[in-house]
Amino acid sequence: MPKQPSTDTTAPATPTPTQSLLPKGLQQLVRDSGIAIALLLLVIIFSALSPLFLTPGNISNIFTQIAINVCLAVGMTFVILIGGIDLSVGSLTALCAVVAGTVLKLDGLSVGAAILLAILTSIAVGVVCGLINGTISSLWGVPSFIVTLGMLNIARGGALQWTDARSIYEFPDAFNEFGTSSLFGMPALFLVALALVIVAWIVLTRTVFGRLIYAIGNNEEAVRLAGHNLLAYKILAFTICGASVGVAAVLYMTRLTVASPILGIGFELNAIAAVIIGGTSLSGGRGSIIGTLLGACIIGVLANGLVLIGVGDFIRQMITGGVIILAVILDTYRLRSMRRGG
Amino acid sequence: MTDLLTPHVALEIQGISKQFPGVLALDNVDLKLQSGQVHALAGENGAGKSSLIKVLCGAYPPDGGTMLLAGEAYAPHSPFDSIGKGIRVVHQELLMLDQLSVAENLLFESLPRKHFGLIDRVALNRRASELLSLVGLDDVSPTQIVQGLGMAQRQLIEIAKALSGDSRIVIMDEPTATLTSRETERLFEIIVRLRDSGVAILFVSHHLQELFEICDSVTVLRNGRKVSTQPISETTPRDLVRLMVGREVIEATPRANPADQRQEALRVEGLRFKGQPNGAQVDFAVGVGEILGIAGLVGSGRTETVRAIFGADALQAGSIFREGRPVKIRSPADALAEGICLVTEDRKDEGLLLDMPIRSNLSLARLGACSRAGWLLNSVESKDANDMARTLQIRLTTIEQHPRQLSGGNQQKVVLGKWLLCEPAVLILDEPTRGVDVGAKAEIHRLLQSIADTGTALIVVSSDLPELMQLTDRIIVLSRGKVAGEVLRKDFDESRILELAYSEYMKSGESNAQAA
Repeated sequence: MPKQPSTDTTAPATPTPTQSLLPKGLQQLVRDSGIAIALLLLVIIFSALSPLFLTPGNISNIFTQIAINVCLAVGMTFVILIGGIDLSVGSLTALCAVVAGTVLKLDGLSVGAAILLAILTSIAVGVVCGLINGTISSLWGVPSFIVTLGMLNIARGGALQWTDARSIYEFPDAFNEFGTSSLFGMPALFLVALALVIVAWIVLTRTVFGRLIYAIGNNEEAVRLAGHNLLAYKILAFTICGASVGVAAVLYMTRLTVASPILGIGFELNAIAAVIIGGTSLSGGRGSIIGTLLGACIIGVLANGLVLIGVGDFIRQMITGGVIILAVILDTYRLRSMRRGG
Repeated sequence: MTDLLTPHVALEIQGISKQFPGVLALDNVDLKLQSGQVHALAGENGAGKSSLIKVLCGAYPPDGGTMLLAGEAYAPHSPFDSIGKGIRVVHQELLMLDQLSVAENLLFESLPRKHFGLIDRVALNRRASELLSLVGLDDVSPTQIVQGLGMAQRQLIEIAKALSGDSRIVIMDEPTATLTSRETERLFEIIVRLRDSGVAILFVSHHLQELFEICDSVTVLRNGRKVSTQPISETTPRDLVRLMVGREVIEATPRANPADQRQEALRVEGLRFKGQPNGAQVDFAVGVGEILGIAGLVGSGRTETVRAIFGADALQAGSIFREGRPVKIRSPADALAEGICLVTEDRKDEGLLLDMPIRSNLSLARLGACSRAGWLLNSVESKDANDMARTLQIRLTTIEQHPRQLSGGNQQKVVLGKWLLCEPAVLILDEPTRGVDVGAKAEIHRLLQSIADTGTALIVVSSDLPELMQLTDRIIVLSRGKVAGEVLRKDFDESRILELAYSEYMKSGESNAQAA
């Protein structure tokens, strides 16, 4: 490649708009396609190893299984992009679920009203807890790891206290049926998760807020000195994460037809794994929602495929762990080569 | 080490090449370092100086070529390896362990130990004190945590670090960029002492007069190639610049004497910032279209003053007036609303989004104008970015490139462009040309003058006195947190300004600056 002629005269490189559009799309494609290729390889390998893998029933199954994790991972992406982490999403799912479950069973409400109110309540509980996480970590500069670790315990304890450690069930049929229904051959649960992905993608790539989320992860001080209200944006990222927990909790209830105070244990780790495998940097500022979706798909396909070819649960867990580490190694390597270039 | 005092070739490299994806950083470079001599390495940013240093210290393996260290084959696997072989590098980017003490940073590679591997604190702090006094940092305690120190103090510590072991070769990458002239003088004394003890020194600096002051010979790099090597006595600064740039540099013409009557753009009264010595305060005013320089020693309160005006740090007391009307500035957002912008001292930590497109960097401070109801208008943003890149002659291939891949001068132009897009009425610049090569420096100077000509008030803080004297209409000199004096362009005189800079430190017994 010819070198940039940086010394002859003062002629500036004249960038043209057409030039600037293409590499951006290409770069993004290359970044995401690494994960997409990995996913494709997994699908090919499992189809070859098990005749059951690539059947419509099983594919629908995988989509149902990953829907909850996709929801949680979408919210988690916002938090990780600003350089934070949210460990409370698993416990929070349980808290949202039991509060929503109680609302769902309130007397004197029509079925439709009860369902609508339950969904709103679940999201509201998530939003409030996310707001608390965000405010404490941003306002007082407490690391989000610590704040959300605390919230993990508070939410779990809260859920157990609320229900007296009992599960809530016997929800309206209309509610429970949603968990198994499908539209255009796709499970409804996954379609909701996909809708969240699309909204989040638009927010992150097309809005000022999304731009600042990336910028904060890149260089907080530069954003502050550019006159932006850091605090508000950081709190908002955690709040969005809380809202996505509220949605995930409702989805989970319709699938299980029960709201248990001990559901969702370890969900936060799956969500973080999806984000990381999807190429989002734990130190913030770099990553994408599409990557997160693909990351969640890889975890789901791996779990489903390994079961089908008869690999035990314990080995499966070990393999998932290996994949997380591998993904980060590959990402680090790619980043290093990218930075050295140019 | 016995033959250290007889002159010999300490390091010889031949045909060194280094390829990065898309760029040939070093192309067949030869270099010979003699013991007991100071060799200068000159070249624009991006010419390959840093790459060459990284190859020499083992951070990058070369793709081709041979290296001989005192006649023996030398192929370092890591920087640690090269330290073991007696090669020390004083890095341009100050990589320090912020949370550790000065002493621990100084002696990190060879912490003195007691039994069971415990650190011998007494020996550690004693050794550290010795090193600190070598570089004139007697007022810094070895037990102090590095985080609170200013850039110049860190640079001196980095230099002291290079003196900690038995070095045969010391490489100094822009060691004077953050130093005042007095500190630079002390550095030169240290270099002379090292040289006379038989150490070979490779010295990199953008300040050409320094090369002529201290170096014996000079190698010029351009575009990764060696352009020339010659004794310094056989060349002139003008020739060097021509060799480095490959063309004539057009210097900004000194400003014509400004009119005395100017409309006031900004006035500061009784300003007090955090850590300012008791009783001191800062008052000054700057007029529309005027370029005001702020001079002073490191720690005199220059950076603190401008950061307080911009709302980056809290203002302790004082009033700020824009065009005669009092304004309240509590945050950078307030300052921006008043048309005040600040180009900060440290572009990497405070200015740039290194891993986001140049387009996003340029629009960061005016996203409001690049959006409607919170939605980004990509076409507006790209157009603004392309226009600004062209106006500032930022050397890029596309505005989607990341600033990490640009040279220091072009990075600085990106930061400048970000603020120019805000159309500031008062533009404050803290060390606008630090670590920027001669070509880009002249371009930035011309640019700043043209900005002032459009009626923007400029405040320039710089440790580089010749820069201030060439660029500004008037200089105020800070000394120990107060304005020690004001010098008009017709009275510009280096010794007069320095005298003022030291004036407050002479008055009482205390000698050390109330540091940042």
